[in-house]
Amino acid sequence: MTALIDLKDVTRRLVDPEPVTLVREVSLEIQPGEFVAVVGPSGCGKSSLLYLLGLLDRPDAGSVRIDGRATETLSEVERTHLRLERIGFVFQFHFLLPELTAEANVALPIRRLGRYSRREADDRAHDLLAKLGLQAEAHRRPDRMSGGQRQRVAIARALANDPAIILGDEPTGNLDSVNTRLVVEEFQRLAHQEGRAVVCVTHDAGVAAAADRRIHMLDGRIVPET
Amino acid sequence: MGGFLVLAGIAFAHLAVRTRQTLVAIAGVAVGVGFFLAVSGMMTGSQADFIRTLVDSAPHIILQDEQRAPAHQPAVTAWPGAAVAVRGVRPQDEVRGLKDWPAMLAAARAQPGAVAAPSLSGAVAARFAGRTEPLALNGVDPRIEGQLTKIEASLVGGHLTDLEARPDGIIISRPMADRIGAHLGDTLVVSSSAGVLQRMRILALIEPDARAGFYAGDNAAYGLLRTAQVLFARPNVVNQLHVKLGDPDAAEAVAATLEARWGYKWVSWQERSRDIRNLLVVRNIIMYAVIAAILLVAAFGIYTSVSTSVTDKRRDIAILRAMGFTERDVEGVFLIEGLVVGVAGALAGFAFGTVLLEILARLPITVQGKPLVLPLDRSLRQYLIAGAASLASALVAAWLPARKAAAVDPVDILRGAA
Repeated sequence: MTALIDLKDVTRRLVDPEPVTLVREVSLEIQPGEFVAVVGPSGCGKSSLLYLLGLLDRPDAGSVRIDGRATETLSEVERTHLRLERIGFVFQFHFLLPELTAEANVALPIRRLGRYSRREADDRAHDLLAKLGLQAEAHRRPDRMSGGQRQRVAIARALANDPAIILGDEPTGNLDSVNTRLVVEEFQRLAHQEGRAVVCVTHDAGVAAAADRRIHMLDGRIVPET
Repeated sequence: MGGFLVLAGIAFAHLAVRTRQTLVAIAGVAVGVGFFLAVSGMMTGSQADFIRTLVDSAPHIILQDEQRAPAHQPAVTAWPGAAVAVRGVRPQDEVRGLKDWPAMLAAARAQPGAVAAPSLSGAVAARFAGRTEPLALNGVDPRIEGQLTKIEASLVGGHLTDLEARPDGIIISRPMADRIGAHLGDTLVVSSSAGVLQRMRILALIEPDARAGFYAGDNAAYGLLRTAQVLFARPNVVNQLHVKLGDPDAAEAVAATLEARWGYKWVSWQERSRDIRNLLVVRNIIMYAVIAAILLVAAFGIYTSVSTSVTDKRRDIAILRAMGFTERDVEGVFLIEGLVVGVAGALAGFAFGTVLLEILARLPITVQGKPLVLPLDRSLRQYLIAGAASLASALVAAWLPARKAAAVDPVDILRGAA
């Protein structure tokens, strides 16, 4: 079975403002249907690894294959298009566009991909929000919603183009326990029922425990679970 | 198109939440476009009016009995390019007047839509009540001359065609009449350098009226061509041809063609007014520099607005990039913001400029005691130029911050926000 995400000896360094290696020789395979938690102390390179998986950043060494496709040789536009089509991000802060309604936020990546008409995109966004129990919030702006609702809208937006990979960067970091549980259950459903690969960077032991696999990082490396 | 609408939607949303700053930027463009229309309308309107006066008031081409350069010596013609020195040459006394002028007149009249007439001009002295003043007498064919110039509009007390009924008639300027104390119907004693004296009766006066569009000076006078030929003792001789063309803009080319054929000096209205037209060019440069400065200020407004938007929206830019929007998409969002401000400003400026032009058109201005309506250019062309200039400046002003937005590294922002 081809891994949905396949990293081989990936290294990422920064030279500015001072030389630092964020990710060191990381190799990793993630299969469809897996819910993986990336854990480790602050500054260990978890988020940097996530940005490499999400094609937001390029490795200095090693290779990143997404859905069997080598990404090193892709142009920036091709990488962006691959991200638009195959990868959905959920961040600690919801990062919804404050001027747009929940439905418009979710419809944005659908409309950008251009496979659906505006009406179809809006309907699709509406359905996604309904699935996450946010039907009543569809026409509200983010500032009129609770933190949990906003984060679920952000999940709906990440699912907008039906991506195979969901990447979460501390997605429950700002949520109470009830909303954290809702988000974790949603991630489990996305992985186990819909066959997506879910990779979640977290400090939350409960979230890590709910994952199928935990990847421990320390000083940019993957280390064995202690 | 779908992609553009998505970007436009984001751009509109950005503008809508920053209403006050957006309105200020739009107002800046509107003021620029409005003043562009007003100043440009006034300047080009007055220039067009001035050129029209230049073109319509006098013949488009005047043929004079002189050459631009003396005729070549036969030796120079025989050995072109050789070093030829001819000493002690005495030019042959030339009989003044256009040779073969009927053929030249026919050639001029053969031009599309052309009207042409011969005239004989020369200096005379006019005496009345013991006072003598010099006059530049133009002997003309009154019926045709009226079609060649706007003299008829400047006449008071009579018409140019009155000369046909009174061969001893003369038309002088009102200031000249005042100077010598003569009135309409008075008889002047006119003498030429040929020694001929003739009593001539004033049939009409030329009023120096700026709006009438014709005034050749206080000393200009008009008489019948035949009378002038008698006065100058030069029967059947003319020394000028006046030509008016169907297309005034063709005057320069037609004059050059006729001059190449006949050798005399054919002077187009463009050549006659070259110095004035050069001045108009300078005036236009000054005008467009002032307008460019106004639009530059408006462009700074757009730059500030879009630049602030880029700074405010760095996090949104990062999330758009994470979602799968390209650098060009991000650039497009902010370019559209600038464009929207430019278009809205241009439309508001059109309204503002139209109001300004209307106010200018109604300004109570008097010249020589008579009301004058400012000549204004309110053509579509002015609006198109103003619109294009404002859009171009808006795009340039938005492009710089838009490039900055496109260069935002989403990882830097997301890392900072985490």
